[in-house]
Amino acid sequence: MITFKSVTKKYTADSMGLNGIDLHIESGEFVSIVGQSGTGKTTMIKLLIAEEKVTSGIIEIGGWDITRLSDSDIPLLRRQIGVIFQDFKLLPKKTVAENVSFALEVAGEKRLRIKQVVPRVLDIVGLSHKVDRYPHQLSGGEQQRVAMARSLVHRPKILLADEPTGNLDSINTQEIIDILKKINEFGTTILLVTHNREVVNQLKRRVVTLHDGKIISDEDKGKYRL
Amino acid sequence: MLSGFFRIIKFSFQEIVRNMSLSIMTVLILILMLLSINTLMVVKVLTDESIIAVKDQIDVSIYFNPEATPDEIQEIRGFVSAFPEVEKETFLTSDEVFNNFKKNYADNQDVLSSLDELGQNPLGPTLIIKTRDPKDYEKIIKNLSLPEYENIIEAKTFADTQTAIDKIHSITTNVQKFTYFLTILFAIIAFIIIFNTIRVAIYTQRAEIGIKRLVGATSWFIRGPYLIESFIFSIISVVITYFLVDFLLKFLDPYISVVFNKNNLLSNYLSQNWLMVVGIEFGVVFLLTIVSSGLAMRKYLRT
Repeated sequence: MITFKSVTKKYTADSMGLNGIDLHIESGEFVSIVGQSGTGKTTMIKLLIAEEKVTSGIIEIGGWDITRLSDSDIPLLRRQIGVIFQDFKLLPKKTVAENVSFALEVAGEKRLRIKQVVPRVLDIVGLSHKVDRYPHQLSGGEQQRVAMARSLVHRPKILLADEPTGNLDSINTQEIIDILKKINEFGTTILLVTHNREVVNQLKRRVVTLHDGKIISDEDKGKYRL
Repeated sequence: MLSGFFRIIKFSFQEIVRNMSLSIMTVLILILMLLSINTLMVVKVLTDESIIAVKDQIDVSIYFNPEATPDEIQEIRGFVSAFPEVEKETFLTSDEVFNNFKKNYADNQDVLSSLDELGQNPLGPTLIIKTRDPKDYEKIIKNLSLPEYENIIEAKTFADTQTAIDKIHSITTNVQKFTYFLTILFAIIAFIIIFNTIRVAIYTQRAEIGIKRLVGATSWFIRGPYLIESFIFSIISVVITYFLVDFLLKFLDPYISVVFNKNNLLSNYLSQNWLMVVGIEFGVVFLLTIVSSGLAMRKYLRT
């Protein structure tokens, strides 16, 4: 599903994001990427959504080489991958429903289909009673659930989660992880970047540990070992 | 394709309404800029009118000898009217000149009693010549300075006119230079104001632009609402400015009419040229807002 082949990302001559990474993730896997700050976890996410370009190496998603995408192909890639961030990245001047439907509108989905799908997805994340609220009227956990609904609305095969629980308390963290597990059960490949030891240990799934831009361990049912 | 266009229109109206304070500020600045351009228009109209008024005051008078025969006078009139530069020539008979003189000096009893002493009209006929351009007076005067006309023409108001003509030329040229300078200065100020207003507006929305990119929006899907917003802001500001200027000109016109002796000079100019004024202003504002937003957004649209 996702393949990194000798991927290196240098920001400046002395600032290395990733250093010759080789990694293969199968379809339907739930992989946690762990490591200290500045070890390249977020760089991996940025490369996967083409927010950054590799210095060398190849990244393939479903056999599609995304390292040499033209500017016009980048939106197409992003519409096929769901992404959630620590800071939610919601549009502040749009309501919950509008934030979610925006992801479909940019992809040119028909209005009727948007009307059907959005309430269903908001129901899955438990926000069907807050569709007309604006992001600032929601709690952190609720905002993250809106972001999840937005990332799921076009049924992506891959969901990238960059520290999704970093700004949340333990109850909201558990809710988000439960939703991620549920999404994974439906067959979506999940790449979770996290610092949260409890979350990683509780998941008992594959754990890839990064250090100085290199993979130092890759365990099928791993634990947080830093 | 069409639904994408309608969505862009919907988003632009949403942005305008939900960023109301920013929208109002942008329109206000555009109006201020347009008002300054309209001030320039008023200055130009008044300058042109002043030049016309001053030019209109100038003419050349040919004073005929009282003994000049009608045939001689007719010959000179024919000679003068043959010049294409001559716009108008007015002939005054000896009696008309005499009556005008008396009218002009009605308050001066000494002059009037001197005339009575003479017992006859000492003034000859006069030909008043008006050319299309003041610089042509010199040519007419020179051509009339022939030896065969020396006994027919008693005097020509050459010297005084020449000084006035030179002065008007100098004033006109300088005023025109100053107007060009003002136009360029205002154009630069307008560009800087609009560019920075749009830049600030887009800077405040840079995070949103980034989020839209992340969820897969194309550049045009992001740019589109800003283009439509620019279009709407341009229309609103031009329309409001038009009515404001129309109101202000109607207020100014009575004061202007005292100077130029013309009623509704400025409002008539606006109503006669409204399509050109509105068209140029809209074109300039729309183009500037589009270029400014394009330049300001370029940075945030990269990947």
